[in-house]
Amino acid sequence: MSQSKIPSKFERFFEWFCKPELFEELQGDLEEAFEVNKLESGVAKAKNIYRMEVIKMIRPSVIRFGQFHSKFNHLIMFKNYYKTSIRSLMKNPLSSCINVFGLSVAIGVCLLVYGFIEQDINIDRFHKNKYEVYLTTFFADRDGTVQQFGRTPTPLGRMLREDFTHIKKVCRVEDNGVILKYKDKVFHERVRFTDPEFLEMFTFPLKWGLAASLKDMNSIIFSEDMSIKYFGEENPVGQDVLMKFADGRSKTFTITGVAEPFPKAHAIDFDFLINFENFRVSNPEYDLTSWSAYVNATLIQVERTSDLEIIMQGMEKYRILQNKAETDWAISSFAFEQLATLHEKSNEIRGDISSSVEDEARIILPIIGMFMLLLACFNYINIAIVSAAKRLKEIGVRKVIGANRRALIIQFLAENIFISFFAMLFGLVLGKALILPWFNQLFDLDVELRLFDPALWIFLFSILLFTGVASGIYPAFYISKFQVVRILKGSVKFGKKNPLTKIFLGVQLILACITITNGIIFSQNSTYQAKRSWGYNPKGVLYTQVPDRPAYEQLSALLEQDPNVLAVSGSRNHLGKGVSVSIVHLPDHQYEVWELSVDATYLETMQLQLAEGRNFREGYESDKKAIIVNELLVEQIGLEEPIGQVFKIDSMRYEIIGVAQDYHIFSFYNEIRPTILRLEEADDYRYLSMRVRDGKEKESYEALQSHWSNLFPETPFQGGYQNEVFGNYFVEIGGHAKFMKAVAFIAIMLASLGLYGLVTLNVSGRVREFSIRKVLGAQIKNLAFSITKQYVVLFAIALTIGAPISYILIDALLDLVYPYHIPMNYFGVLLAVIILITVLMATISTQIGKVSKSNPVEGIRVE
Amino acid sequence: MKGTNLGEFQEIVLLSILILDDEAYGLKIQQELSERLKRVLSRGALHAALSRLEEKGFIDSHIGGATTERGGRRKRFYTLTNSGKAALRQAKELREEMWSQVPKLSLS
Repeated sequence: MSQSKIPSKFERFFEWFCKPELFEELQGDLEEAFEVNKLESGVAKAKNIYRMEVIKMIRPSVIRFGQFHSKFNHLIMFKNYYKTSIRSLMKNPLSSCINVFGLSVAIGVCLLVYGFIEQDINIDRFHKNKYEVYLTTFFADRDGTVQQFGRTPTPLGRMLREDFTHIKKVCRVEDNGVILKYKDKVFHERVRFTDPEFLEMFTFPLKWGLAASLKDMNSIIFSEDMSIKYFGEENPVGQDVLMKFADGRSKTFTITGVAEPFPKAHAIDFDFLINFENFRVSNPEYDLTSWSAYVNATLIQVERTSDLEIIMQGMEKYRILQNKAETDWAISSFAFEQLATLHEKSNEIRGDISSSVEDEARIILPIIGMFMLLLACFNYINIAIVSAAKRLKEIGVRKVIGANRRALIIQFLAENIFISFFAMLFGLVLGKALILPWFNQLFDLDVELRLFDPALWIFLFSILLFTGVASGIYPAFYISKFQVVRILKGSVKFGKKNPLTKIFLGVQLILACITITNGIIFSQNSTYQAKRSWGYNPKGVLYTQVPDRPAYEQLSALLEQDPNVLAVSGSRNHLGKGVSVSIVHLPDHQYEVWELSVDATYLETMQLQLAEGRNFREGYESDKKAIIVNELLVEQIGLEEPIGQVFKIDSMRYEIIGVAQDYHIFSFYNEIRPTILRLEEADDYRYLSMRVRDGKEKESYEALQSHWSNLFPETPFQGGYQNEVFGNYFVEIGGHAKFMKAVAFIAIMLASLGLYGLVTLNVSGRVREFSIRKVLGAQIKNLAFSITKQYVVLFAIALTIGAPISYILIDALLDLVYPYHIPMNYFGVLLAVIILITVLMATISTQIGKVSKSNPVEGIRVE
Repeated sequence: MKGTNLGEFQEIVLLSILILDDEAYGLKIQQELSERLKRVLSRGALHAALSRLEEKGFIDSHIGGATTERGGRRKRFYTLTNSGKAALRQAKELREEMWSQVPKLSLS
């Protein structure tokens, strides 16, 4: 019989949500209908109908609201909480503002962190084949450490395509500098040589034209930016552009496509795409079958990710081929990196096409976000504890009326979440409208917050829950514990000397101390970086790229007549612009070094300093076998007597004739590497550098430019001031300092807001005590002492802990971010401590002022 | 006057209460309507309509005596109030008046 009964779970569910006064008639009707249906269409059907009927009962007129179980609060109680929390907010407008504003700022900072990380994680993930496309990389031992490299031997791409059926698509990528000309627009550009599969593997949509056109040797595809640069808003498809490669070769290409703007979260992109086979045009002697030649990247696409293992097993024979051809650069294995996660790892891969955000930012930003949130939460907890003391009566009365502990906890948590909600909204506005644009401008980034991103809201609400619950849980549980009788009798002493408030304030002070020290040290470092020696004198040096020897000779002949020009040098590589990499063969191992190939006057022109030995001599054939090394190389190899030592480099023997003091080839982000200088044949000069008279830099620069446009009207000028070769390095370092200072400022603000709120509440809670003291003849300094006493001890303890922590942490941070930074000093920590003490003094003195002016009679009358 | 307007569905509910007379309780009304409208009507939807009509004062209800079937649960019977009847009549008159003015031609 039980088979034909009404589904009991649904019945119980119905009874649970239905208004009690309706249940009898409705359930009666449903049960009667059930019996009828059972006879008409069978038990199963009748049950189903019943279930549907119950589900359709879920409507406002049937459901009972806020009365689910009597142990829960009724809706009406929540209304009451809402009212009381608004009232208590209004009663203490100051501390409420501190709470809401502090939390908002912290949430704003957290949103910035979120936006940054979200974008970083999603980089290159918009490609449809992100899980099937892999970058081919290899591991090789260089100087004793195994490193991963993103470049690949040129023939590998073609062989992979032919040898593996599992590989669906292969594309090779190589970049080259060219001159691009359309009518009167002529610019130096970087163009990407690639196989037609590129646009199938990377799904960049095209605005105009066809992706398949890349198969054609004469096609070129523009990025949106480049299309605007050359053609404005017009559709350029079908137009012809002239591309000039090195050594005077050139070719006309027809534009067959323009890409849509790239998504913001991208690392791999292009300016121009042309078919890979054009490499033969640009560089006829380039050997596409040589294992000693490399392309920038070889990407493969597989059918299933599981196919990769089969491919991995087949890579061994290429390793052997490669190592036969390149004995200097023996590789240990090939590896594939998935496109979806390539960007995350690209910091560890040398020379891969997916440039990376500095790892440090990924660590530092979340820490800063956490710091801010913690500071704000501690503010909140402290103020909540102290202000709850003022609401003891309310709590007592609620308990008398019948609120149990659970009800009180719910009340406090609800109130907190309610306030955090305000803060969240305000923080969202603050983050979106103020903090993020500022950050983007500071670091020249393009981080955005997409308001319709569901993950953003999940993040926001988890912050809301976290701050709401974390900051409310202690007061909620603590306060709800009090006994009614004691509250109403007034014998509960609470809030004034709570050890926890002190601990929280102490932690806040420590956090603030760290952040302030950080801000100070970073701005000190920014100044330091600007003053740091480059190892040579960049001031007064101008440089320009030259296409070939005749160009160099023509230009230098003209320049040498210029009275402002003190010296002219030619070179293949140039400080700040580029180096070659060579292998030094030592008896027991090989050693990778950077190489600058220069002429004999280069050291003098650039004012590189010799530590020992001599400079190159002009016209001596023997000096072509001479090298000048830097101090680091001597130190790393451990040479006792460097001068006269002979090295084998690329099968030639070179003698060390001099040791140069260490110099920075690239910005201070890059560590100095062991470097050699050697003489170069004039045929290979690609740079012209010159030193001019002091104060004549601008004049000479203009002269250089006009010489250039007279000599080579067809080639755009590519040169500049030597002291600008670090690019926007100094701007960026300045940006770090500004950002850290702003963070420090926010931390000071949060800490002082918290302190101010706490002291104010504390003093106002002791009005009667102070008034009595005043009446009895206490002087202002006694009162000041009595107020200050408890904070002085707290500050002393917090700062004794905070100062060393700051010192150690910031020292580690500097090491992490900058290879060359200001030596850590005590000044920053000291200043941070002084700032915090000043804040304390200022805060307390305002309160002392208030107490001293107040009329004791009024004070005694309080309550 | 918005409160006294009758929706089409409400009008039909009222009519079915009149038809069922003494037997006008939830399930019967539901069955009557389902049959006439040729579509399945849930008890929940009917409840919404009935409670709306009761709010407007068009119907009254009372609890019947204990029953032996349906788990011994009592039924709630519905009757039309005077204003309910008046609203029905008004709706009917409005229709008739409008029908009378429709030209014969446009119906054929």
